[in-house]
Amino acid sequence: MIFDSHEAYLAANFKPKVCILGSGPAGTTIARKLGAAGIPVVVLEAGSREFSDESQDFYRGTTVGDFYFDLDITRLRYMGGSSNHWAGWCRVLDKQDFEPKAWAPDTGWPIRRTDIEPYLPEVHDILELPDFRPDVPISDDIRWVQLIKSPAVRFGEKFADELDKSRNIAVVLNTYATELAGDGKRVTGAKLWSNGQDAGAFSADYFIVCTGGLENSRLLLWSNQRSNGGVVPNATALGSYWMEHPTFEGGNAILADYGEFEVDAVNEAFFSPTLAAMERLRIMNFGIRLIETPYAGVKHVIADLACTAPDMAEWVAYRLSQNLRCAAQLYVAWEQAPLASNRIELSKTDVDHAGVPRIEMHWKKSELERRTLVEGLKLFGTTLIEKNLGRVRLMDWIANSEDYPTDEETAGHHHMGGTRMGTDITRSVVDANCKVHGMDNLYVGGSSVFCTSGQANPTTTITALACRLGDHLSKVVAV
Amino acid sequence: MCFFKKMSRRTLVQALIALPALSLFRKLPEADAARAGPSRADPSPADPNEIVEVNGWILKRSDLA
Repeated sequence: MIFDSHEAYLAANFKPKVCILGSGPAGTTIARKLGAAGIPVVVLEAGSREFSDESQDFYRGTTVGDFYFDLDITRLRYMGGSSNHWAGWCRVLDKQDFEPKAWAPDTGWPIRRTDIEPYLPEVHDILELPDFRPDVPISDDIRWVQLIKSPAVRFGEKFADELDKSRNIAVVLNTYATELAGDGKRVTGAKLWSNGQDAGAFSADYFIVCTGGLENSRLLLWSNQRSNGGVVPNATALGSYWMEHPTFEGGNAILADYGEFEVDAVNEAFFSPTLAAMERLRIMNFGIRLIETPYAGVKHVIADLACTAPDMAEWVAYRLSQNLRCAAQLYVAWEQAPLASNRIELSKTDVDHAGVPRIEMHWKKSELERRTLVEGLKLFGTTLIEKNLGRVRLMDWIANSEDYPTDEETAGHHHMGGTRMGTDITRSVVDANCKVHGMDNLYVGGSSVFCTSGQANPTTTITALACRLGDHLSKVVAV
Repeated sequence: MCFFKKMSRRTLVQALIALPALSLFRKLPEADAARAGPSRADPSPADPNEIVEVNGWILKRSDLA
C-alpha cells in the first residue's frame, strides 16, 4: 500500500510492528524482506513521489573544511531516495576493506565480507546485475577489478507497483519523522511532521533508521539531544568518522596496446592495489578508472611526452598514425581514512521548516589520503613500466604538490559513516547486526554504518547489508 | 617551457606524425620493441631500468633520450 498523506494512512488503520524511516535502497530492501516474511511494516518517506524544491530545501546545510557539494544537491529527498540520481556503478567492498589495517587507525569491521556474500544473489536480482568476474592480478601490486555499470535501479519506480499491492507494507509519503523519543533502552515513538505542521506521535515495536548517509546522523543527533541521551545512550562516535570517496583526474596514460586490458561497454577499465602493496606503502585502497582519451587529448599528451622522452613520443605518434587507441585519462577515487574529526554536527543557528537543526558537516582530506593518491598513481605507472604496458603522467597539481583543484568532480556523492558499526561503544554506534548500542529496538540501515569506505561505490554493499539486516529482523521480530 | 608549446598545434601534429619515418635514418628500434624493454646499450652508468619521475611522467631511465 502506498499512501500519499499521513491522514490517508491513519484512515486505513494499519497496525505495523516495524517502522522504517526512509524509502531509499536500504529502507525499501528491508521493507520488502520483512513484508515477504509476513511482518507488517510501515515506511515513512519525508518526500513525495516526485522531486520538489520544497522537499529538497530540508536538506540544505553547511560544510566546514574542504570544498564539498551543496548538501541539498548531493542527495535526493523523495520516494526511492538518492537512488533517483544514482549513476549505477556496482561493486561490493573488497575482502581487504573489512580487515583492520595497522597503518590506519579505526579501520576494520566487526563483520567480514563473507558475512554479506550469502546475500549477493539477492542483490544481483535487485540491482539487475550479471555475476562479477574475479579480480585479475596485473602485478604483485595492481589488480584489474570489475565495476559493473548497472541499469541504475530507481527503487521508488522499480518497486512502486509491488509495494502498492503489498498487504504487509505501507509506504506513507510526505511524512517526515523529525525526531525519535527514547528512554535509554527503547525507542518509544517518533514525532511526525506532515503537510507543513506537526502530525503527532507514531509508535511501533521496532524502528529502523534508513534516511541516508548524512541524514541518519542528523536525525539521531537531534533525537538524542531532545531525549537527553535516551535514543543513542553511547553517543561518543555518533556523527563521527564520516567518509566520502574523493575523486579527481589524476593523470594520463600512454598504452602500448589498449587491448591489453579488458574494458567494459563504455571503454573503461578499473585498477586497485593489492593488500600487499597497501601494507608496504602504508596507503588506503583506491580505484584508478581508465578512460580512453579523445583524439585532441592524445595529441596534447604526446606533445608533452616529446619534451621529456622523444623516442617514446615517436613510438606513440607512430601508433596514432595507425589510428590505434593509445592513450587514456586516469581518474582516481580513493578510500578516506576514518577520522573522528570528519563529522556531522547540528547547526547552532539554522533549522529547517520543521524546526530541526540543519547539518554542519566537518570534512577534510588527510595526509594519508594525499599519499594514497600520489603513491597509487606511481604504483600504477611503475606497473605499466614493469609489464611493458605503457607510461603514466601525473597531473601537474599532483606532480608539483599543489592543492586539490576545486573545479573538478571532487568526490563521489557517497555519504558513509556517522553511525558506524563496531564493538567498541566509544568508537561506534551500532553493533554487527546494525542495532544501536544499548537500545533494544533501534536499528540503522544504509552506508552510515560503514566502518571504512573501500574504493567501490557503496550502493551494492548498502543493498547487501540491507538484505542481511532484513533477514536478521525477520527472525528477531517474529519471536 | 617546452618549445613544442610555441608551435602551432597543426605543425606539431604534422611533425609528430612524420617522426616514425625518421627512425629509418636514426636506426631506432622497431616501434613495438619499446614494449619489450630497452634494446640499446645505455652509455650512462645509471640503471636503464630505474624508475624516474620527470616532468610528471613516470618513466624508465632508458626512456629519456
